[in-house]
Amino acid sequence: MPSLKDIKTQINSVGSTKKITSAMKMVAASKLRRSQEKAEAARPYSSRLEEMLSSLGSSAASGEGIIKLLTGTGNDQNYIVVPVSADRGLCGGFNSSINRETFKLVKSLEGNGKKVQLMPVGKKSRDFFNRLMKDQIIESFVDLNVSNIGYESALNISNKLQELYFDGKFDKCILVFNKFKSAISQEVTQQQLIPLDVSNSEKEEEKENSSNAIYDYEPDEETILKDLLPKNVSIQIFKVLLESDAGEQGARMAAMDNATRNAGEMIDSLTLKYNRTRQAFITKELIEIISGAESI
Amino acid sequence: MATISFDLVSPENLIFNDEAGMIIVPGKDGDLGVLPGHSKVMSSLRPGRIMVYGEDKNLLKAFFVSGGFAEINPEKCIVLAESVVELNTLDKSSIEKEIQNLENKDEKNSEEKLLVAKAKLEAFNSKFYEKI
Repeated sequence: MPSLKDIKTQINSVGSTKKITSAMKMVAASKLRRSQEKAEAARPYSSRLEEMLSSLGSSAASGEGIIKLLTGTGNDQNYIVVPVSADRGLCGGFNSSINRETFKLVKSLEGNGKKVQLMPVGKKSRDFFNRLMKDQIIESFVDLNVSNIGYESALNISNKLQELYFDGKFDKCILVFNKFKSAISQEVTQQQLIPLDVSNSEKEEEKENSSNAIYDYEPDEETILKDLLPKNVSIQIFKVLLESDAGEQGARMAAMDNATRNAGEMIDSLTLKYNRTRQAFITKELIEIISGAESI
Repeated sequence: MATISFDLVSPENLIFNDEAGMIIVPGKDGDLGVLPGHSKVMSSLRPGRIMVYGEDKNLLKAFFVSGGFAEINPEKCIVLAESVVELNTLDKSSIEKEIQNLENKDEKNSEEKLLVAKAKLEAFNSKFYEKI
Protein backbone atom coordinates (compact mmCIF):
# COMPACT_ATOMS: atom_id res chain seq x y z
CA MET A 1 0.00 0.00 0.00
CA PRO A 2 1.41 3.39 -0.94
CA SER A 3 2.22 5.69 1.91
CA LEU A 4 0.33 8.92 2.41
CA LYS A 5 3.36 10.86 1.26
CA ASP A 6 3.53 8.98 -2.06
CA ILE A 7 -0.09 9.79 -2.85
CA LYS A 8 0.39 13.41 -1.90
CA THR A 9 3.34 13.76 -4.34
CA GLN A 10 1.31 12.14 -7.07
CA ILE A 11 -1.58 14.52 -6.52
CA ASN A 12 0.79 17.45 -6.69
CA SER A 13 2.40 16.33 -9.91
CA VAL A 14 -0.93 15.67 -11.61
CA GLY A 15 -2.02 19.08 -10.37
CA SER A 16 0.87 20.82 -12.05
CA THR A 17 0.29 18.89 -15.27
CA LYS A 18 -3.26 20.09 -15.15
CA LYS A 19 -2.09 23.66 -14.79
CA ILE A 20 0.09 23.29 -17.87
CA THR A 21 -2.59 21.70 -20.01
CA SER A 22 -5.20 24.25 -19.04
CA ALA A 23 -2.76 27.06 -19.85
CA MET A 24 -2.04 25.46 -23.23
CA LYS A 25 -5.74 25.22 -23.86
CA MET A 26 -6.17 28.89 -23.15
CA VAL A 27 -3.29 29.82 -25.45
CA ALA A 28 -4.67 27.61 -28.21
CA ALA A 29 -8.09 29.17 -27.82
CA SER A 30 -6.80 32.68 -28.31
CA LYS A 31 -4.58 31.61 -31.19
CA LEU A 32 -7.54 29.85 -32.73
CA ARG A 33 -9.50 33.05 -32.76
CA ARG A 34 -6.69 34.81 -34.57
CA SER A 35 -6.16 32.03 -37.11
CA GLN A 36 -9.85 31.88 -37.75
CA GLU A 37 -9.98 35.58 -38.43
CA LYS A 38 -7.08 35.24 -40.80
CA ALA A 39 -8.67 32.36 -42.64
CA GLU A 40 -11.81 34.39 -43.00
CA ALA A 41 -9.90 37.43 -44.20
CA ALA A 42 -8.32 35.37 -46.94
CA ARG A 43 -11.62 34.02 -48.14
CA PRO A 44 -12.77 36.95 -50.32
CA TYR A 45 -9.59 36.80 -52.37
CA SER A 46 -9.72 33.11 -53.10
CA SER A 47 -13.41 33.10 -53.85
CA ARG A 48 -13.09 36.01 -56.28
CA LEU A 49 -10.10 34.38 -57.90
CA GLU A 50 -12.10 31.21 -58.36
CA GLU A 51 -14.90 33.17 -59.96
CA MET A 52 -12.50 34.78 -62.38
CA LEU A 53 -10.91 31.48 -63.21
CA SER A 54 -14.18 29.78 -63.83
CA SER A 55 -15.27 32.46 -66.24
CA LEU A 56 -11.94 32.22 -68.01
CA GLY A 57 -11.37 28.51 -67.78
CA SER A 58 -13.90 27.65 -70.43
CA SER A 59 -11.85 29.44 -73.03
CA ALA A 60 -8.74 27.37 -72.46
CA ALA A 61 -8.28 24.53 -74.84
CA SER A 62 -5.33 22.24 -74.45
CA GLY A 63 -2.20 24.24 -74.72
CA GLU A 64 1.45 24.54 -74.05
CA GLY A 65 3.30 26.27 -71.26
CA ILE A 66 1.47 27.61 -68.28
CA ILE A 67 -1.93 26.53 -69.52
CA LYS A 68 -0.79 23.05 -68.59
CA LEU A 69 -1.62 23.93 -65.00
CA LEU A 70 -5.22 23.78 -66.10
CA THR A 71 -5.25 21.09 -68.71
CA GLY A 72 -2.69 18.69 -67.28
CA THR A 73 0.23 17.02 -68.97
CA GLY A 74 -1.86 14.29 -70.49
CA ASN A 75 -0.21 11.70 -68.28
CA ASP A 76 -0.95 10.48 -64.84
CA GLN A 77 2.07 8.37 -64.07
CA ASN A 78 3.92 10.55 -61.63
CA TYR A 79 2.28 11.89 -58.54
CA ILE A 80 3.43 14.28 -55.92
CA VAL A 81 1.67 14.22 -52.59
CA VAL A 82 1.87 17.15 -50.21
CA PRO A 83 0.77 16.36 -46.67
CA VAL A 84 0.24 19.51 -44.63
CA SER A 85 0.76 18.95 -40.92
CA ALA A 86 1.70 21.06 -37.94
CA ASP A 87 5.18 21.78 -36.71
CA ARG A 88 4.33 20.87 -33.16
CA GLY A 89 2.61 18.03 -31.44
CA LEU A 90 0.25 17.81 -28.49
CA CYS A 91 -2.79 18.39 -30.59
CA GLY A 92 -4.61 15.10 -30.48
CA GLY A 93 -4.97 13.14 -33.68
CA PHE A 94 -4.30 16.14 -35.87
CA ASN A 95 -0.91 15.13 -37.24
CA SER A 96 -1.29 11.39 -37.11
CA SER A 97 -4.51 11.44 -39.11
CA ILE A 98 -2.78 13.42 -41.84
CA ASN A 99 0.14 11.03 -41.87
CA ARG A 100 -2.09 7.99 -41.89
CA GLU A 101 -4.23 9.30 -44.70
CA THR A 102 -1.20 10.26 -46.78
CA PHE A 103 0.41 6.90 -46.18
CA LYS A 104 -2.74 5.14 -47.33
CA LEU A 105 -3.00 7.35 -50.40
CA VAL A 106 0.62 6.73 -51.36
CA LYS A 107 0.25 3.00 -50.95
CA SER A 108 -2.91 2.87 -53.00
CA LEU A 109 -1.38 4.97 -55.77
CA GLU A 110 1.68 2.76 -55.79
CA GLY A 111 -0.59 -0.24 -55.89
CA ASN A 112 -1.93 1.12 -59.16
CA GLY A 113 1.55 1.31 -60.56
CA LYS A 114 2.04 5.05 -60.17
CA LYS A 115 5.22 6.70 -59.10
CA VAL A 116 4.75 8.81 -56.00
CA GLN A 117 6.93 11.49 -54.50
CA LEU A 118 6.40 13.39 -51.31
CA MET A 119 6.77 16.97 -50.31
CA PRO A 120 5.77 17.23 -46.67
CA VAL A 121 4.89 20.57 -45.11
CA GLY A 122 5.34 20.79 -41.36
CA LYS A 123 7.78 19.08 -39.04
CA LYS A 124 5.46 16.33 -37.92
CA SER A 125 4.82 14.88 -41.34
CA ARG A 126 8.40 15.44 -42.44
CA ASP A 127 9.67 13.40 -39.50
CA PHE A 128 7.10 10.71 -40.07
CA PHE A 129 7.93 10.23 -43.73
CA ASN A 130 11.62 10.63 -43.10
CA ARG A 131 11.35 7.42 -41.14
CA LEU A 132 9.18 5.54 -43.60
CA MET A 133 9.88 6.68 -47.14
CA LYS A 134 12.95 8.83 -46.96
CA ASP A 135 13.98 8.38 -50.58
CA GLN A 136 10.63 9.59 -51.89
CA ILE A 137 10.86 12.99 -50.27
CA ILE A 138 12.07 15.60 -52.70
CA GLU A 139 11.67 18.65 -50.56
CA SER A 140 10.16 19.59 -47.27
CA PHE A 141 8.94 22.82 -45.77
CA VAL A 142 9.09 23.29 -42.04
CA ASP A 143 8.97 26.18 -39.59
CA LEU A 144 6.45 28.15 -41.54
CA ASN A 145 6.13 30.55 -38.66
CA VAL A 146 2.92 29.03 -37.49
CA SER A 147 1.48 31.97 -35.64
CA ASN A 148 2.10 34.32 -38.51
CA ILE A 149 1.65 32.56 -41.81
CA GLY A 150 2.27 34.97 -44.61
CA TYR A 151 1.55 34.77 -48.25
CA GLU A 152 5.32 34.53 -48.80
CA SER A 153 5.59 31.03 -47.42
CA ALA A 154 2.76 29.86 -49.63
CA LEU A 155 4.54 31.46 -52.55
CA ASN A 156 7.71 29.51 -51.80
CA ILE A 157 5.90 26.21 -51.84
CA SER A 158 3.99 27.05 -54.97
CA ASN A 159 7.08 28.22 -56.83
CA LYS A 160 8.86 25.01 -56.00
CA LEU A 161 5.90 22.95 -57.13
CA GLN A 162 5.59 24.79 -60.40
CA GLU A 163 9.28 24.52 -61.07
CA LEU A 164 9.06 20.77 -60.66
CA TYR A 165 5.90 20.60 -62.71
CA PHE A 166 7.33 22.41 -65.69
CA ASP A 167 10.46 20.31 -65.46
CA GLY A 168 8.13 17.39 -66.05
CA LYS A 169 8.86 15.86 -62.68
CA PHE A 170 5.24 15.04 -61.96
CA ASP A 171 1.82 15.04 -63.59
CA LYS A 172 -0.51 15.42 -60.67
CA CYS A 173 -0.23 17.06 -57.32
CA ILE A 174 -2.47 16.16 -54.41
CA LEU A 175 -2.67 18.06 -51.15
CA VAL A 176 -3.65 16.27 -47.97
CA PHE A 177 -4.66 18.61 -45.20
CA ASN A 178 -7.00 19.13 -42.31
CA LYS A 179 -9.98 21.14 -43.34
CA PHE A 180 -11.23 23.40 -40.62
CA LYS A 181 -14.86 22.58 -39.99
CA SER A 182 -15.40 23.97 -36.54
CA ALA A 183 -13.31 24.64 -33.47
CA ILE A 184 -13.66 21.04 -32.41
CA SER A 185 -13.68 19.14 -35.65
CA GLN A 186 -11.30 18.91 -38.55
CA GLU A 187 -11.72 16.81 -41.59
CA VAL A 188 -8.85 15.24 -43.46
CA THR A 189 -9.27 16.33 -47.05
CA GLN A 190 -7.55 15.53 -50.30
CA GLN A 191 -7.43 18.19 -52.94
CA GLN A 192 -6.00 17.94 -56.37
CA LEU A 193 -3.96 21.05 -56.92
CA ILE A 194 -2.34 20.46 -60.28
CA PRO A 195 -3.88 20.21 -62.78
CA LEU A 196 -6.67 22.37 -61.53
CA ASP A 197 -9.68 20.40 -60.53
CA VAL A 198 -12.47 21.94 -62.54
CA SER A 199 -15.23 19.76 -61.23
CA ASN A 200 -16.21 22.18 -58.48
CA SER A 201 -15.71 25.30 -60.51
CA GLU A 202 -17.87 23.99 -63.29
CA LYS A 203 -20.92 24.73 -61.25
CA GLU A 204 -19.84 28.30 -60.88
CA GLU A 205 -19.24 28.45 -64.56
CA GLU A 206 -22.89 27.75 -65.22
CA LYS A 207 -23.84 30.44 -62.79
CA GLU A 208 -21.52 32.83 -64.49
CA ASN A 209 -22.89 31.98 -67.90
CA SER A 210 -26.43 32.41 -66.80
CA SER A 211 -25.66 35.88 -65.52
CA ASN A 212 -24.41 36.61 -69.00
CA ALA A 213 -20.94 37.66 -68.06
CA ILE A 214 -19.27 38.85 -71.18
CA TYR A 215 -16.07 40.58 -70.33
CA ASP A 216 -13.54 42.46 -72.30
CA TYR A 217 -10.13 41.11 -71.58
CA GLU A 218 -7.08 43.20 -71.30
CA PRO A 219 -4.53 42.43 -72.72
CA ASP A 220 -6.29 39.20 -73.77
CA GLU A 221 -7.76 36.07 -72.31
CA GLU A 222 -4.69 33.96 -72.69
CA THR A 223 -2.35 36.42 -71.05
CA ILE A 224 -4.65 36.83 -68.12
CA LEU A 225 -5.02 33.12 -67.77
CA LYS A 226 -1.27 32.76 -67.79
CA ASP A 227 -1.02 35.19 -64.92
CA LEU A 228 -3.97 33.82 -63.11
CA LEU A 229 -3.15 30.12 -63.05
CA PRO A 230 0.14 30.24 -61.15
CA LYS A 231 -1.42 32.69 -58.75
CA ASN A 232 -4.29 30.35 -58.18
CA VAL A 233 -1.88 27.63 -57.13
CA SER A 234 -0.27 29.89 -54.56
CA ILE A 235 -3.61 31.06 -53.28
CA GLN A 236 -4.89 27.53 -52.90
CA ILE A 237 -1.80 26.63 -50.93
CA PHE A 238 -2.15 29.75 -48.83
CA LYS A 239 -5.74 28.88 -48.07
CA VAL A 240 -4.79 25.36 -47.12
CA LEU A 241 -2.03 26.61 -44.82
CA LEU A 242 -4.43 28.93 -43.05
CA GLU A 243 -7.09 26.28 -42.70
CA SER A 244 -4.59 23.82 -41.40
CA ASP A 245 -3.28 26.36 -38.90
CA ALA A 246 -6.76 27.10 -37.63
CA GLY A 247 -7.45 23.38 -37.47
CA GLU A 248 -4.26 22.78 -35.52
CA GLN A 249 -5.20 25.32 -32.88
CA GLY A 250 -8.69 23.87 -32.68
CA ALA A 251 -7.36 20.36 -32.31
CA ARG A 252 -4.90 21.45 -29.67
CA MET A 253 -7.60 23.23 -27.77
CA ALA A 254 -9.81 20.13 -27.77
CA ALA A 255 -6.93 17.86 -26.84
CA MET A 256 -5.82 20.08 -23.99
CA ASP A 257 -9.37 20.44 -22.77
CA ASN A 258 -9.59 16.67 -22.59
CA ALA A 259 -6.26 16.41 -20.84
CA THR A 260 -7.31 19.00 -18.29
CA ARG A 261 -10.51 17.13 -17.60
CA ASN A 262 -8.69 13.83 -17.25
CA ALA A 263 -6.22 15.37 -14.86
CA GLY A 264 -9.11 16.70 -12.80
CA GLU A 265 -10.67 13.27 -12.61
CA MET A 266 -7.36 11.74 -11.66
CA ILE A 267 -6.89 14.26 -8.88
CA ASP A 268 -10.37 13.47 -7.58
CA SER A 269 -9.75 9.76 -7.47
CA LEU A 270 -6.30 10.23 -5.93
CA THR A 271 -7.73 12.52 -3.27
CA LEU A 272 -10.31 9.90 -2.43
CA LYS A 273 -7.58 7.31 -2.13
CA TYR A 274 -5.54 9.68 0.00
CA ASN A 275 -8.44 10.28 2.38
CA ARG A 276 -9.23 6.57 2.63
CA THR A 277 -5.63 5.72 3.42
CA ARG A 278 -5.51 8.42 6.04
CA GLN A 279 -8.72 7.16 7.61
CA ALA A 280 -7.37 3.63 7.60
CA PHE A 281 -4.30 4.79 9.50
CA ILE A 282 -6.41 6.60 12.06
CA THR A 283 -8.69 3.63 12.54
CA LYS A 284 -5.73 1.34 12.96
CA GLU A 285 -4.17 3.59 15.56
CA LEU A 286 -7.47 3.90 17.42
CA ILE A 287 -7.85 0.13 17.52
CA GLU A 288 -4.36 -0.17 18.88
CA ILE A 289 -5.02 2.40 21.61
CA ILE A 290 -8.37 0.88 22.58
CA SER A 291 -7.08 -2.66 22.66
CA GLY A 292 -4.08 -1.44 24.66
CA ALA A 293 -6.38 0.29 27.15
CA GLU A 294 -8.56 -2.82 27.44
CA SER A 295 -5.67 -5.09 28.26
CA ILE A 296 -4.67 -3.08 31.31
CA MET B 1 -23.30 61.70 -58.87
CA ALA B 2 -23.34 57.96 -58.92
CA THR B 3 -20.76 55.87 -57.20
CA ILE B 4 -19.15 52.55 -57.94
CA SER B 5 -18.34 50.07 -55.25
CA PHE B 6 -14.69 49.26 -55.01
CA ASP B 7 -13.02 46.25 -53.37
CA LEU B 8 -9.29 46.02 -52.94
CA VAL B 9 -8.38 42.53 -51.82
CA SER B 10 -4.98 41.11 -50.94
CA PRO B 11 -4.40 37.45 -50.08
CA GLU B 12 -4.16 38.36 -46.42
CA ASN B 13 -7.22 40.54 -46.10
CA LEU B 14 -9.80 42.89 -47.51
CA ILE B 15 -8.09 46.27 -47.64
CA PHE B 16 -10.66 48.60 -49.05
CA ASN B 17 -14.36 48.07 -49.43
CA ASP B 18 -16.42 51.16 -50.01
CA GLU B 19 -18.16 53.34 -52.56
CA ALA B 20 -15.97 55.52 -54.74
CA GLY B 21 -16.51 58.14 -57.40
CA MET B 22 -13.63 57.03 -59.55
CA ILE B 23 -10.71 54.64 -59.41
CA ILE B 24 -7.56 54.63 -61.47
CA VAL B 25 -6.13 51.18 -61.95
CA PRO B 26 -2.73 50.37 -63.48
CA GLY B 27 -3.77 47.95 -66.22
CA LYS B 28 -1.13 45.99 -68.03
CA ASP B 29 -1.60 47.95 -71.23
CA GLY B 30 -2.15 51.31 -69.59
CA ASP B 31 -4.01 52.99 -66.79
CA LEU B 32 -7.72 52.48 -66.57
CA GLY B 33 -9.98 55.13 -65.17
CA VAL B 34 -13.02 53.39 -63.76
CA LEU B 35 -16.19 55.40 -63.41
CA PRO B 36 -19.63 54.16 -62.47
CA GLY B 37 -21.15 52.34 -65.41
CA HIS B 38 -17.86 51.19 -66.83
CA SER B 39 -18.13 48.34 -69.31
CA LYS B 40 -17.19 44.85 -68.24
CA VAL B 41 -13.45 44.42 -68.31
CA MET B 42 -11.07 41.94 -66.86
CA SER B 43 -7.48 43.06 -66.82
CA SER B 44 -4.22 42.02 -65.32
CA LEU B 45 -2.25 44.72 -63.58
CA ARG B 46 1.29 45.94 -63.70
CA PRO B 47 3.03 47.26 -60.60
CA GLY B 48 1.76 50.74 -60.02
CA ARG B 49 -0.57 53.05 -58.22
CA ILE B 50 -4.23 52.59 -57.50
CA MET B 51 -5.92 55.89 -56.86
CA VAL B 52 -9.32 56.05 -55.24
CA TYR B 53 -11.37 59.24 -55.56
CA GLY B 54 -14.52 60.32 -53.83
CA GLU B 55 -17.63 61.63 -55.49
CA ASP B 56 -16.17 65.12 -55.96
CA LYS B 57 -13.01 63.72 -57.49
CA ASN B 58 -11.12 64.35 -54.32
CA LEU B 59 -8.35 61.85 -53.73
CA LEU B 60 -9.39 59.48 -50.96
CA LYS B 61 -6.62 56.94 -50.93
CA ALA B 62 -3.59 55.96 -52.95
CA PHE B 63 -2.12 52.48 -52.91
CA PHE B 64 0.81 50.78 -54.48
CA VAL B 65 0.16 47.26 -55.83
CA SER B 66 2.82 44.90 -57.10
CA GLY B 67 0.50 43.31 -59.62
CA GLY B 68 -2.71 41.38 -59.75
CA PHE B 69 -6.06 41.49 -61.48
CA ALA B 70 -8.98 43.80 -61.82
CA GLU B 71 -12.52 42.80 -62.57
CA ILE B 72 -14.73 45.66 -63.56
CA ASN B 73 -18.43 45.77 -64.21
CA PRO B 74 -20.88 48.68 -64.23
CA GLU B 75 -21.59 48.49 -60.51
CA LYS B 76 -18.44 47.10 -59.07
CA CYS B 77 -14.69 47.14 -59.37
CA ILE B 78 -12.70 44.38 -57.73
CA VAL B 79 -8.93 44.43 -57.56
CA LEU B 80 -7.09 41.31 -56.50
CA ALA B 81 -3.60 42.45 -55.65
CA GLU B 82 -0.60 40.48 -54.56
CA SER B 83 0.81 42.96 -52.14
CA VAL B 84 -0.68 46.29 -51.27
CA VAL B 85 0.81 49.22 -49.43
CA GLU B 86 -0.70 52.57 -48.86
CA LEU B 87 1.40 55.17 -50.64
CA ASN B 88 1.82 57.54 -47.74
CA THR B 89 3.33 54.78 -45.60
CA LEU B 90 6.17 54.31 -48.07
CA ASP B 91 9.55 55.71 -47.27
CA LYS B 92 11.85 56.78 -50.02
CA SER B 93 15.17 55.84 -48.47
CA SER B 94 14.04 52.31 -47.62
CA ILE B 95 12.88 51.71 -51.19
CA GLU B 96 16.18 52.97 -52.51
CA LYS B 97 18.00 50.65 -50.15
CA GLU B 98 15.83 47.77 -51.34
CA ILE B 99 16.70 48.53 -54.95
CA GLN B 100 20.38 48.62 -54.13
CA ASN B 101 20.21 45.32 -52.30
CA LEU B 102 18.40 43.70 -55.18
CA GLU B 103 20.80 45.08 -57.74
CA ASN B 104 23.71 43.50 -55.93
CA LYS B 105 22.03 40.18 -55.56
CA ASP B 106 21.94 37.84 -58.49
CA GLU B 107 19.10 35.52 -57.74
CA LYS B 108 16.56 34.00 -60.00
CA ASN B 109 13.62 36.08 -58.96
CA SER B 110 15.49 39.14 -57.79
CA GLU B 111 15.06 40.64 -61.23
CA GLU B 112 11.34 40.51 -60.87
CA LYS B 113 11.52 41.99 -57.40
CA LEU B 114 13.77 44.72 -58.73
CA LEU B 115 11.18 45.70 -61.29
CA VAL B 116 8.56 45.91 -58.58
CA ALA B 117 10.82 47.96 -56.34
CA LYS B 118 11.63 50.35 -59.16
CA ALA B 119 7.96 50.73 -59.93
CA LYS B 120 7.41 51.43 -56.27
CA LEU B 121 9.94 54.23 -56.32
CA GLU B 122 8.39 55.64 -59.43
CA ALA B 123 4.96 55.48 -57.85
CA PHE B 124 6.32 57.24 -54.81
CA ASN B 125 7.77 60.07 -56.85
CA SER B 126 4.96 60.39 -59.32
CA LYS B 127 2.62 63.30 -58.93
CA PHE B 128 0.26 62.24 -61.68
CA TYR B 129 -3.41 62.00 -60.90
CA GLU B 130 -3.07 63.66 -57.54
CA LYS B 131 -5.39 66.40 -58.64
CA ILE B 132 -7.86 65.84 -61.40
